[in-house]
Amino acid sequence: MSMSLRLLRDRIPGASTVLMLVVMLLLIAAVTEALGSTVLSRFAIRMFIDMTLVLGLQMFMGNSNILWFPHVGFMGIGAYASVIFSMSPLQKILSLPELYPFLADVNLPFLPALLAGALVAAAVAAVIGLPLMRLSDFPAVIAGFAMLIVIHAVLTHWEALTNGPQTLFGVERRTYVMNSAIWACVFVAVAYWFKESKSGLQLRASRDDLVSTSSIGVNIVAVRWFALVLSAFAAGIAGGLFAHFITSFSPKAFFLRETFIILAMLVIGGPATVTGAVLGTVIVTIVYQTLRWVENTLNIEQVFAQPIAGLTDITLAVMLIGMLILRPAGIFERREIGWQALRALWPWTGADAAPEPAADPQVVRKAAETKQRR
Amino acid sequence: MLELKDVHAQYGAIVALRGVSIHVAEGDLVGLLGANGAGKTTTLLTIAGVIKPSRGEITFRGVSLAGLPPEMIVRKGIAMVPEGREIFPTLTVQQNLRLGAFIRRNRVEYRHDLEEMGELFPILGERMHQSAGTLSGGEQQQLAIARALMSRPRLLILDEPSLGLAPRLVDQVFRLIARLRREGMTILLVEQNVIQTLRIVDRAYLISMGQVEMSGTPEELKRHVDMESVYLGATVAARGGGQGRGAP
Repeated sequence: MSMSLRLLRDRIPGASTVLMLVVMLLLIAAVTEALGSTVLSRFAIRMFIDMTLVLGLQMFMGNSNILWFPHVGFMGIGAYASVIFSMSPLQKILSLPELYPFLADVNLPFLPALLAGALVAAAVAAVIGLPLMRLSDFPAVIAGFAMLIVIHAVLTHWEALTNGPQTLFGVERRTYVMNSAIWACVFVAVAYWFKESKSGLQLRASRDDLVSTSSIGVNIVAVRWFALVLSAFAAGIAGGLFAHFITSFSPKAFFLRETFIILAMLVIGGPATVTGAVLGTVIVTIVYQTLRWVENTLNIEQVFAQPIAGLTDITLAVMLIGMLILRPAGIFERREIGWQALRALWPWTGADAAPEPAADPQVVRKAAETKQRR
Repeated sequence: MLELKDVHAQYGAIVALRGVSIHVAEGDLVGLLGANGAGKTTTLLTIAGVIKPSRGEITFRGVSLAGLPPEMIVRKGIAMVPEGREIFPTLTVQQNLRLGAFIRRNRVEYRHDLEEMGELFPILGERMHQSAGTLSGGEQQQLAIARALMSRPRLLILDEPSLGLAPRLVDQVFRLIARLRREGMTILLVEQNVIQTLRIVDRAYLISMGQVEMSGTPEELKRHVDMESVYLGATVAARGGGQGRGAP
């Protein structure tokens, strides 16, 4: 490795991780654009939106180890809010006839509307996070699940803002391959920065041991709350991108199915790392879309006497179960992609290419044993 | 610097402390001795704000600590190394140390202190980027102490740092504590290892049944106390004075 790269690595420890992931995503986007296939770009856009969502989930769930269900609820809030900010007054008369007058005339350009929508999602998270972040373990998970139900019920029944259970139509298409890829890249950097920041480190410490984290003076509730608000902001951005990509949707889009998919993406990739969130999304998207294509083709060609259903979901579920049995910390466990990881793969480098021991599953096991012995 | 006056504490109906008074002066190394269940850890938890005293008063540098949450007490300059070396096993040594330093925001100071810890604990210096769970018991103890020192505390509280360590490592830990004291750190050391503790402390308190049984310099304690009975948790451990001996 050249001297200057070494210097860069020492100065910005995460630079190589963020750089590699961003280059990879931009490459995917560029190739997709160059090929010009509509089907492929739809896959790619959907992948970048899901990636933004999964990176948001990683910031909270990956660092705190709290299994977190309401995430797609915040996506839904961001989707509806961004549409209310971006839709023209004329279209609102058709699409949202019962909308409150003070919102009817709001008409922002796409980017401010997207950011405003995400801020609404973050604000809702900030309020409900105050009581919820005091909970840990099992109660936190169940309370989070209940919160997803609450958000879904509100989206389904607040007709003035969401058109109720019916489809909200007439949203302008604003999300394309490049802007969705850029948002995914932004959150790669944000998620990495957060993980290595003071708050991120404190949150990861609380993942190891709650009692000693507070004994070194960390306000765990505050640190969790901050991560939650940041994570809901990312979910809100993903929701806004989704709304302006799909252009007509109903509250059903932000419920259990999407929750399952993004959890599978994060868990399969490895919730403790940003690399895991990114590559888990890529892998699951490829598997999921391929299976859906197979399923559709078989049904259209009428290969079987009756149409088959559920192949995609069952395969994904089995993949998730298999992963949890074979490699419970996900494909990437605790190791981020970067110079270190690349050098470990590169057989011709010098002896200084010491692999990071934290990624060794034996080490993690030994750590768990040490704790049990006490 | 730290003053406990007639502190009472209880867990529900069980009274754990019945009037503990302790004084730690600046620069002192003070020992807190006693058998299992005597109330040593409860005393520490009341200082740390985890348990609220039901009566009595705790002041630090002349300011009352009553009603402060644990994190505020840490910010006042009291760092505690809990029993059982509660380090963060999946984080690296350096990340563990950084967590100890977060009260301060000064980057230069942090770098300086990190280097200093590397010198004070050479093992840790060599293993900065290794995950803390891979360290041995003695190394983890060093890391726990180093993490507490990273907050540049005014008072360092150590809860049974020798517990569960091999004899050679116990010596090492006590030498380290003595060295910290020589460098000017104020330390409250809670221990069951009476012999080793009395070798290094300036003064010590002997706690039994939630009360201070006796206090003084190591010489005074050695003169008046049957050391074996301390281990056995005798109710009256003091020799002579017509009180008799509580343990055979």
